[in-house]
Amino acid sequence: MNGFAHIAVLAMIIIAGFYAVWFRDLLSSVISLAVFSLLLSLEFFILQAPDVAIAEAAIGAGLSTAIYIIALRACNALKKSGGGDRK
Amino acid sequence: MKKKVLFLIAILVVAGVFWGALSRVHPFGEKARAPMDDYYLENAQQERSVNNVVTAIVFDYRGFDTLGEAAVLFTAVCSVLALFRKGSEGK
Amino acid sequence: MNPLSVVVRTICDVFAWFMGIYGIYIIIHGHLTPGGGFQGGAVVATMAAFLLVSHGGKKLLSFAKPGFYSGIETAGLLIFITTGFLGLSATFFYNFLAGRGGLFGAVVPIGPNSGILNSAGTISVMNMAVGLEVIGGLSLILIYMFKGIRLFDDQTGGSETGHDR
Repeated sequence: MNGFAHIAVLAMIIIAGFYAVWFRDLLSSVISLAVFSLLLSLEFFILQAPDVAIAEAAIGAGLSTAIYIIALRACNALKKSGGGDRK
Repeated sequence: MKKKVLFLIAILVVAGVFWGALSRVHPFGEKARAPMDDYYLENAQQERSVNNVVTAIVFDYRGFDTLGEAAVLFTAVCSVLALFRKGSEGK
Repeated sequence: MNPLSVVVRTICDVFAWFMGIYGIYIIIHGHLTPGGGFQGGAVVATMAAFLLVSHGGKKLLSFAKPGFYSGIETAGLLIFITTGFLGLSATFFYNFLAGRGGLFGAVVPIGPNSGILNSAGTISVMNMAVGLEVIGGLSLILIYMFKGIRLFDDQTGGSETGHDR
């Protein structure tokens, strides 16, 4: 039972990491990276480390995703206003 | 072609080193052989009156490390504030 | 950064409060359950990130000033160091409150028990101090990164945008 859960979670981690590289759309890639972090925290929980699991879920899936989305919207605003010239 | 051969040799060397290191790792879930963690598990609840031994180690037995971690976070905040400060030419 | 659509704002309004309560629970139960100051503070800082992404910066910065978070962080770090120095009669970071009675010093029975909230001496105080410091620090990093990208933002913003594509 435990071995099956390990194998399933690790396979889903590999799939999520592959899609994070494979997507052309950057927002989809960021969401896929968040899924990667969430599955990694699930793996930490299976390995009986709930402290690390809480920290990984909060920082990896919450804060980094928010910072990536902020950077992405900043890039979109930059692209819309034409080039990288500061106004 | 030469680059590919070098790349394959490097991959094999790194894989061999990792295999040699991971095959000697302590098996998961087995009882540890160091005397220090046995001491923590037996005496932490009595000495520090905590149920969570991990918190007892992090904040009491190894409190100096936590002070260093807090200093690291403070330094990170200071560097971000210095990086994103209001420039003289922007508004 | 413009606010997202009504659906995203409503969902984030509901779930942000659950996140804040859960983070505070992790901080003040740090000596009983898994977690502690750092993890709980990160969860509470995620609440600020949610509100920032969904509502846009103008609304968040209208009630969350950077000076407030800076004060929280400084207070947490000062409480932490002061608690460390107060145990200096024995050693640095000595747990001088454990088992003495009072607010933080209830005696814990040995063996498996159901957990007493006001038990763990200075460990509980340090959990709250580190929690305050992490809340202030991570929220401050987020707010200053957001204010940094506003140098590039156009002035016509303010209306609602649906999604990022």
